[in-house]
Amino acid sequence: MAGASMKDIKLRIRSVESTKQITSAMQLVAGSKLRRARQRMEDTRPYMTSIRQIVGDIAAHRDVESPFFNEAADGRTCVVVIAGDRGLAGHYNAAVFKIADELINGESVVLPIGKKAMDRYTHRGAPILSGDYIKAEYVTAGDCRAMADLLIEGYLEGRFSRVTLVDTTFVSAMTQNAQATELLPIKRPEQPSSHSQMIMEPNPEQLLDAIMPDYLTGCLYGAVCDAVACEMASRRNAMDSATKNADQMIADLSLHYNRARQSSITQEITEIVAGAEQ
Amino acid sequence: MAGIHLKIVTPDAMVYEGDVDSVVVRTVEGEVCILPRHIDYLAALGTGEARIKVGKSVRKAECSGGVIHVTGGRTVNILSNRFSWKDA
Repeated sequence: MAGASMKDIKLRIRSVESTKQITSAMQLVAGSKLRRARQRMEDTRPYMTSIRQIVGDIAAHRDVESPFFNEAADGRTCVVVIAGDRGLAGHYNAAVFKIADELINGESVVLPIGKKAMDRYTHRGAPILSGDYIKAEYVTAGDCRAMADLLIEGYLEGRFSRVTLVDTTFVSAMTQNAQATELLPIKRPEQPSSHSQMIMEPNPEQLLDAIMPDYLTGCLYGAVCDAVACEMASRRNAMDSATKNADQMIADLSLHYNRARQSSITQEITEIVAGAEQ
Repeated sequence: MAGIHLKIVTPDAMVYEGDVDSVVVRTVEGEVCILPRHIDYLAALGTGEARIKVGKSVRKAECSGGVIHVTGGRTVNILSNRFSWKDA
């Protein structure tokens, strides 16, 4: 019995070891991709903060009227869901889908970014606005521009009256938060603007129309860069703990193996001694 | 006498940050020159040449789309879709 069990344990150790090799390789890959993704995220931040501030400044002018401020409109929602391209990233995809599923009802239009989001919503038969952005990792600023144009066109034509973005923000390599933000209509700030003397050319309404695509591009591209960094961080953490678990399992199994080996030796000695005494 | 703090950003990266004397850009209404102590100003950009003057040197660039934002008479932000130096 001891011999068979020793062989079984040895096989299990070998299988855990090969799994560990895979998880630690994935951890290294995710780690290096995370570095690149974080750099890209840092590069996009200045544009995002500036464009948000500018749109906020225009929105603070009470006398500016634009369909982009039209809060009363009640109708369909377009939900932009940014998820990962692959699994094995902890609860990264699940956290995004949990929030997105609450927002998506039978009426909603979905703009999925990332393969996992695309698969999930095509499978569910939700109306898809565009299925061109399957690889979140390779989405460029130009792609985001195309998406922004698509969203604005749909919004102005009245195909949907709300655009909500579900994405993950990068807090630190350990913490990522999935969240939903409303992109359109734009909320006016509570306080009226302090820049009431600002000159706007050609005029506030036309200016807003002109920079709306830039604003959405900035928001989307920033969100994609954040989400990619989150995916990599999440995968690196998941693979790190998987590697640690494998180490623990190997240690436990080695202990069992040694114990089985010792008991087989003891048994053999006992048998020899018993034979000699006769 | 560098009286303007200029920042030029594109969605991909921060292209330039530094103190300059004057900024000329083409807005949708025509060319404008921003000097220190300019009034708060916000304008959509067209496609054309941007000229940044620092001391006696002038750097030229191709600038397309976006917006120029002047606040407090000395902070100028240019958010552009495409911005490339001609001398680079």
